[in-house]
Amino acid sequence: MGQDVLTIALPKGRILKEASVLFKKAGIDITPVMQDDRRLIFEGIAEGLRFMVIRSQDVPTYVEYGAADIGIAGKDVLLEQDKDLYEPLDLGIGVCRMMVAEPKELSEEDNPKHWTHIRVATKYPNITLRHFLSKGIQVEIIKLYGSIELAPLLGLSERIVDLVQTGETLKKNGLVEVEHIMNITSKLVCNRASLKTKPRMVKTLVDSLGKAVAEAAKL
Amino acid sequence: MATPTISLPQGVRDILPEEAARIGAAEAGILSVFEKHGFRKIVTPLLEYVDVLSLGMGANLKDRVLKFIDPSTGRVVAIRPDITPQIARVAATRMRDHELPLKLCYNESVLRYQEARDGKSREVLQIGAEYISEKASASIDAEMIIISIEALEIIGLRDFKIDIGDVGFLRAVLDKLPVNDEARGMIKDSIAIKDTSGLEAVLAGFSMPEKDRKLLMNLTTFYGEEEVLEKAASFSKDAESIKALEYLRSVVDIVAKNGLKDRVTIDLGEVRGFDYYTGIIFEGFASGVGKPILSGGRYDTLLARYGYSAAATGFAFDVENIIAALERSGSKKRKG
Repeated sequence: MGQDVLTIALPKGRILKEASVLFKKAGIDITPVMQDDRRLIFEGIAEGLRFMVIRSQDVPTYVEYGAADIGIAGKDVLLEQDKDLYEPLDLGIGVCRMMVAEPKELSEEDNPKHWTHIRVATKYPNITLRHFLSKGIQVEIIKLYGSIELAPLLGLSERIVDLVQTGETLKKNGLVEVEHIMNITSKLVCNRASLKTKPRMVKTLVDSLGKAVAEAAKL
Repeated sequence: MATPTISLPQGVRDILPEEAARIGAAEAGILSVFEKHGFRKIVTPLLEYVDVLSLGMGANLKDRVLKFIDPSTGRVVAIRPDITPQIARVAATRMRDHELPLKLCYNESVLRYQEARDGKSREVLQIGAEYISEKASASIDAEMIIISIEALEIIGLRDFKIDIGDVGFLRAVLDKLPVNDEARGMIKDSIAIKDTSGLEAVLAGFSMPEKDRKLLMNLTTFYGEEEVLEKAASFSKDAESIKALEYLRSVVDIVAKNGLKDRVTIDLGEVRGFDYYTGIIFEGFASGVGKPILSGGRYDTLLARYGYSAAATGFAFDVENIIAALERSGSKKRKG
């Protein structure tokens, strides 16, 4: 990690596309990063910046240890991993919500206020545990890595906690949202030592991306 | 009896000769600087009574203490998680009749419980210095910062910054807000991670003077170099926060007069650190090491909790992070 270079960790996938639009508005064209999905590190795209593309769940780890100075990570990933990072900018991309959902038939006679002990399948065990513990509900968590909607259909759990963007996937699988946990967006995160040892570079990037976010919000 | 698996509890480790030598060399360098500035080394015990230690521990540390019941007395004892409350206890009791200022240093390890999954050390090697005086003064705070820089330079670290803040500044604003403790906590948490939009959302729920709202919203961006002080001054209307800013400015000025301006950054939104801090706080950061290499600050009310009213300031190096920083700068040099 050089003194005059900022290393930025970008998450693979959908967020990368949305982020590239923001970077472009901020005068940084990261098209090469989008076009080459084999390379992991990209230098020489913009002066003083180095990009790497990694799995979204790995972004907070790279940034916490200082392997990257700055990263883009969903609030869901940040809350689940609870790392000590600065979060200087809400990018307003990757907008979705963290929900509790259950089969439609169950919801017809169910009242979340009466829950005392429930079983939940989720990719987010920490968020799920914190949410239900704070309400005094005992929760048995089944950690899954994908296709969470399948769990209630096959009787693995009655309910799920998952990210919902449009609600289309839930609907297709006969599930309905019964409790809203929180709204989620992607955030710009920054390593503590990087912000202290390169304050000007960090501030310049945060400011220019911040302007791009404000501009995007106006549209 | 079956042979146990030969292993160690999580979070502790052995340090073998090669590394121990590197640590020893760094410690010797730092201690020589402390000695040169008139600090005398003391040794405090590994165990303390929890209720005595608790006088000087904030809530953020109390949860991370390893405690157990002393079989001989039935009282709860703890392995120290922090040396500073111990020094405060010693200064307030056994060294009470010593003339002030009292300049003490130590080289010990502390034990802090960490989440098991982290794989981080529970045992932290520290070298620190504490300066106990009748009254607080900017020149003492500046001296401590200068000593920390001198120590880092003597052990060969090149690429580092000392980040200075003042908890008094934020507290002056926060304490007056017409909100409950829970909201105050949420505001503080948002400022801690410089989360401007999160802070905006929290503040939206409360009515408060527009000037306070503006100042709080700006706290997440009050980091950088000297210009931060002027920016903060232009937003501060409150006598106490202006006083805190002026104090901070005199500290920074003294450090700059000693030719160390380039070593210093300023962050007025920094709220991390121990609950006992009352004024100037500072942390050291080395390029490429994600964690602070030193941290410290002024704690003018801690000794009073042990029955002695005196002002104090101090800091401690995290030895393992220092070694990591030295190795990092060494490997960079080798690469050219």
